[in-house]
Formats: sequence, C-alpha cells, structure tokens
Amino acid sequence: MKPFAKLTWLGRTVSQLPSAWGLLPLIVALLLWQILQTGNSPYFPPPSAWWSGLVQIAAGGQLLAACIATLKTIVAGLALAIVAGIGLGVLIGTSPRAARALGPLLEFCRAMPPPAIVPLAILFLGYDERMKLTIVALSAMWPILLNTSSAIQHIHPLLLDVSTSFHLSRFERIRLIIIPSVVPSILLGIRIALPLTIVLTLLVEILTSIQGIGALMIAAQRNFQSGQVYGLLVLVGLFGFIINNAFSIVQAVILRRWPPRSVQA
Amino acid sequence: MGSRWTTLSVNWSGLSVFALVLAGWEAAVRSGMIAFEFLPAPSAILMGVVELVQDGILLQDLLHTLLSIAIGWTIAMIIGVAVGLLLGFSPLARKYGLASIEVLRPIPGIAFAPLGLLLFGFSLQTELVVTVLPTVWPVMVNTMGGIANAQPRLTDVGRTFRLSSYEIVRYLLLPSALPSIVVGARISLGLALVMAIVAEIVGNPEGLGYGIVREQQALHPEYMFAYIAVVGLLGVILNAGVLAITKSLWPWTAPRQSA
Repeated sequence: MKPFAKLTWLGRTVSQLPSAWGLLPLIVALLLWQILQTGNSPYFPPPSAWWSGLVQIAAGGQLLAACIATLKTIVAGLALAIVAGIGLGVLIGTSPRAARALGPLLEFCRAMPPPAIVPLAILFLGYDERMKLTIVALSAMWPILLNTSSAIQHIHPLLLDVSTSFHLSRFERIRLIIIPSVVPSILLGIRIALPLTIVLTLLVEILTSIQGIGALMIAAQRNFQSGQVYGLLVLVGLFGFIINNAFSIVQAVILRRWPPRSVQA
Repeated sequence: MGSRWTTLSVNWSGLSVFALVLAGWEAAVRSGMIAFEFLPAPSAILMGVVELVQDGILLQDLLHTLLSIAIGWTIAMIIGVAVGLLLGFSPLARKYGLASIEVLRPIPGIAFAPLGLLLFGFSLQTELVVTVLPTVWPVMVNTMGGIANAQPRLTDVGRTFRLSSYEIVRYLLLPSALPSIVVGARISLGLALVMAIVAEIVGNPEGLGYGIVREQQALHPEYMFAYIAVVGLLGVILNAGVLAITKSLWPWTAPRQSA
C-alpha cells in the first residue's frame, strides 16, 4: 500500500482494493452450482467439469501454446497501436491546421466499430498473423491518438509562455513541459484501448480459428464440450483480470514519475 | 473531443480533405494504379448502397441491428442502474459484493459468444447475451461511483437542512450522481453497438454485422464496403445523437475530454 499512497486518483484505486469479503457471493454461487447440479447437464456443467475440461485441453498441450499466441498478439498489437497513436497524436495535436483538416476523417474512423473491419482485413490480408496484428493495432490506435492530441492541445498556454521566458531549448521544452503534461492522458488512452485489444484478438481467433484461446473456445463450442466452454470462459476472464491489473501497476509506476498536472487549460 | 471538431461552424478544410481522400481513391482505382482485386471505387460502393437499399435488405439489417442495440442497452441500463444504486447506497452491499463484480468485469464480452452459442444456438438470445453482459459494467460502476462519492458530504448537508431521507436521495444524491450515470449510459451505448456487430458476425446471422461477413464470403466487395460504411455512419450518428441529447438535457454532463 505504501508506495502508492502518494499518488492521486490512480493510487487510491490501487490501494483501496475492495474487501475480499466481496468474493463471498461468487464463491457461494459456484459452490451451490457444484452441489445442486443434477448430473450431466449438457448446458450447465458443474464447476468441477470446467476444471476437468481445461485439464483435458492442457493435456493435449494446446492450452499453453494458445495462451502464448493470444498474449503475443495482444502485446504486439498494442505496442504498434501505442507507437502509431502517439506519433499521429503528436502530429495532430501540435498543428491546429492538421487537427482541423483531418478532424472529420478521424471522427469517422473513430466512430467505426472496430469489429466491422475484421471481414475487410481478412479479405485483403488473408488468414495470417499480419492480419491479426493489423486489426488489433488499427482498432486500439484511436483512443491513444485522440487522448494524445487532446492532451497536447490542452497544455496550458502559461506553461508554454514560461518555457519561452526561461529560454528553454526545444529538447528541454519537450522534456520539461510537454511530456509531463501528456503522459497521464496517453496512459488513459491505453487503458481505454486495452480491453478493445483483448476483444478484437479473441474475435479474430474465433472467426478464423487461427491459433489462440478464441480458437479453442469456438472449437469447444462446436464439439459441444460444455465443460471446456465454461473453463475457457473463466480462463479468459482471468486473462483480462491479469492484463488489466498488470497495466494498472505499470501506470502507477509511470505516474509516480510524471504525476497528473492540475494546471490544465 | 468530438464536440470541438464537429460543432464548430462548418469545417471546410476537414470536409475537403475527406472529399480529396475519396476522389484520390476513386482516381487510383479507375486508372488502375491500385489493382487490388477486391478494392472497389467509392462510386461503386455508393452504387452498392443504392442497390442494397432498393433491394430492401439493408433497411432490414439496419432495423435488426438497431433493435438489438435498443433491447440490449435497455436491459443493461436497468440491471446496471439497479445494482449500481444498491452498491452506491449500501456500504454493506459494497463490502459483500464489490469484489465479485471486480472479478467478473474484466471478462471480455466476446468470450460469452461461445457460451451463448452453446445455450441458444445462432439466435437473438445469443446476440443479447454478448451485447448485454459487457454493457452492464460502465453503467453499474458509474452509478455506484456517482452515489458513493456524493454520499457523506451531501447527506450531512441534507441533515443540516432537516431534510427527510427520501428528500436527501431525491433532491441531493440522485441529481449529483446524474452526470456520472449519463456518462456510463453513453459509454454503454457505444459498446452496445460494437458488441451487437461482434455478435452478428459470430453468433446471430442477421443485421449489419452479418451483412459484412455475408458479402465478404460472397466476394461482393462493393456490398461489403457499403455495409461497413453504413456501420461507420451509424456509429457517428449514435455518438453525435446521444451527445446532443445529453448536452441539451443536462449541459453540465458534457464531456471534457474523450472518454
């Protein structure tokens, strides 16, 4: 708890984890499910069958490979999205003319629900790793881009005046004024993009049955392996939980270096 | 964010860039400079939209998607606000419930697609499962946060003015939580559109999402692009519509930055 105590809103959310007693309803529900089950329901298998379903897949050696494949796509896609999003965001944020000229085009791209481009990417790029990455990166890029450009546009003019009166060099200006002002917003953009990358990765895997957890899920459903379907659902939930919290920690560490500014235009 | 770009007087430079991109695309395809087998010119896409409209199928698909969004979002709002209010008002409910929600929340909505298919097959129910479950969270969390944040301070104010508990809830707590609830509702609506398209692609062969896949598999790229354009337009309209409505009803809830 201590290291996060100094932080602002984020520190509070990290250090004020909800009481562990809150897990009670979930645990009770699962226990009741396990106890009250009526044998082999094809639709509502008991939690013990979820576990044996997962063990079954793991025994075939597919589970670990699928987890790694999915994680790789998420991380690589997100990395591409961060680079492209920040790059374009800086370009647009620093030039009001570019912001105005590209505005409607960007607005359309942003409002486009990302899954809509999946069939398009499949048609053009075919069933391969490149297609997966393109889809994930393209859809995760928008929140990062918009948050970056908006943060730059919202830097208080006073801060820029100060840098001029102190005769800061271009490099110092970027290091001392611009980066500290935009880092919290960029992190927020990444946080918004994060769940999107997971959804898109799974969607592509489900659609194309390319290696990954999504492919395992849809295979389990097609074979009516209901225990596996539930087991994989829990696994994916765990996946999302771990990724989200891992990013929270990264975010907290970065924000300790560049805390959010209160001076905003 | 969007408000600054769209509500200022007509953005001519922006529109002309948009038009230029389309014109360049058209010219490139016509001149054969880009010789992708599957890339239709914008004019061909427009013709595709016209043909699909005349056929009646586009309207039918659009109505299906709108209907699923409306049903899914309404269910999500009811559950989200109800549970959110309970959690917001009752510290006991927060203590013995919040962690369960925090554990369930990160499950990506798409992960429920195989489950929905297992239980309901290719059907509207599957689509609703995929649409409702992930859209509940933003409303629930924002409702809870709105109430819980306002509670100790405003309750004290109410007691000072000798208001009854009902009056405190009705005139102090609910109004102060409203902006937060509205933000949650807006995020949920955007999510509902995304998840409805996802569900139609994998779980329910109807609506705009299925239209895109159908035309992709039938190798009718001009129709596929037509569907994508309609989906994008729907996104723009929903986004702008909700923003305009909430702005006129509750001006103080307008977003400061993109969310």
